[in-house]
Amino acid sequence: MSEDEIPVVSSTSQDDLIIQQHREIEKEISERIKLVGPKEGLETLENEYSNDDVYLKKTKILANNYDCLRRTRPDGNCFFRAFGFAYLEYLLENKEEYARFRELAKQSKDKLIELNFPKFTLEDFHDVFMDVVNVVGKGPVAADELYHMFNEQGHSDYVVVYLRLIASGHLREKEEFYQNFIEGDRTIVDFCSQEVEPMYKESDHIHIIALSTALDVGVRVRYMDRGDGSEVIAHDFPEGFANQAVHLLYRPGHYDILYPKLQAQLIMS
Amino acid sequence: MSTPARRRLMRDFKRLQEDPPTGVSGAPTDNNIMIWNAVIFGPHDTPFEDGTFKLTIEFTEEYPNKPPTVRFVSKMFHPNVYADGGICLDILQNRWSPTYDVSAILTSIQSLLSDPNPNSPANSMAAQLYKENRREYEKRVKACVEQSFVD
Repeated sequence: MSEDEIPVVSSTSQDDLIIQQHREIEKEISERIKLVGPKEGLETLENEYSNDDVYLKKTKILANNYDCLRRTRPDGNCFFRAFGFAYLEYLLENKEEYARFRELAKQSKDKLIELNFPKFTLEDFHDVFMDVVNVVGKGPVAADELYHMFNEQGHSDYVVVYLRLIASGHLREKEEFYQNFIEGDRTIVDFCSQEVEPMYKESDHIHIIALSTALDVGVRVRYMDRGDGSEVIAHDFPEGFANQAVHLLYRPGHYDILYPKLQAQLIMS
Repeated sequence: MSTPARRRLMRDFKRLQEDPPTGVSGAPTDNNIMIWNAVIFGPHDTPFEDGTFKLTIEFTEEYPNKPPTVRFVSKMFHPNVYADGGICLDILQNRWSPTYDVSAILTSIQSLLSDPNPNSPANSMAAQLYKENRREYEKRVKACVEQSFVD
């Protein structure tokens, strides 16, 4: 059959077959890797790369500034999930910042409704998101509860959805500015509905810029790849932001959470 | 057992009853909230007018993070409906957003009946007739409309 001969009626939808295959791969990953893993010492990364000179070297450099990491499930939501967990975990210990964030989170619902997100479903996500935020208000004693919530698909995914909506809302609100960063002839609204709002869509710089700016939270991403150079380059979002509450490790296609060494440890080493 | 998907589906159902959109209806089957039956009435001023088209909607526990599978049970002749009733509609695939609920899904399918997208055909005969021979297209659609009374 030549390329331009299309069967008159396809018997089954090709999309369904592709979706089916995706689901099988996802199932396999979800059985192996937790949504948010336990804290591990950075030496587990060194073991992982014991036969890989480039990455091993970079892991050792990373160890100058960081001592632990937490892995997240590579399901396309890793940036949002890693950010959500790392930031809320940070807030457990930071009462003042927590109060600021809680207020902002509370008000975000009306703002998103103003931006034309459907009220009925938005409320559902917002309610669950606030349930999780309120748990964080209990302070350090809630650490286990937070970890548990992030590993329970229902709560965890609802947090991811809500953070995606906040990022999307910010892009839509500042449409004129962000339009310059969109490749091709897609509009911001197209981009948001194809790349930001749907679950499992991977994040790019623009997602990180949008979320960190919307929430006014500093994120430092450490980029570790096969490139030359003996550095693990740090990128701060929003640009020039002084305080980084969240540190992430990026390896091509995936984000995990990093824990910086305490100042005292840095001086000693 | 209440899971996030089931809880959300109860909300969707409540909303559909309290605030029903024009020309669509849907409800869970008697013994399973994860499988719904729905009806879309053919929109006015289209060849689908007067038809009552039945669909099934199947949800997984991943709803609303993943879209449900929606199929026409009634026989359809439409550029974006496969022979098995499957629907080629972006919001049910790569443009799905967790903010869509059942009401939004059904109204989107309803507007797909009014505005087919012949450039992404699931039924290439329907797409071709829609573009090149609107009279024949309408004749075939009308046959489905009549068939929908019998089903």
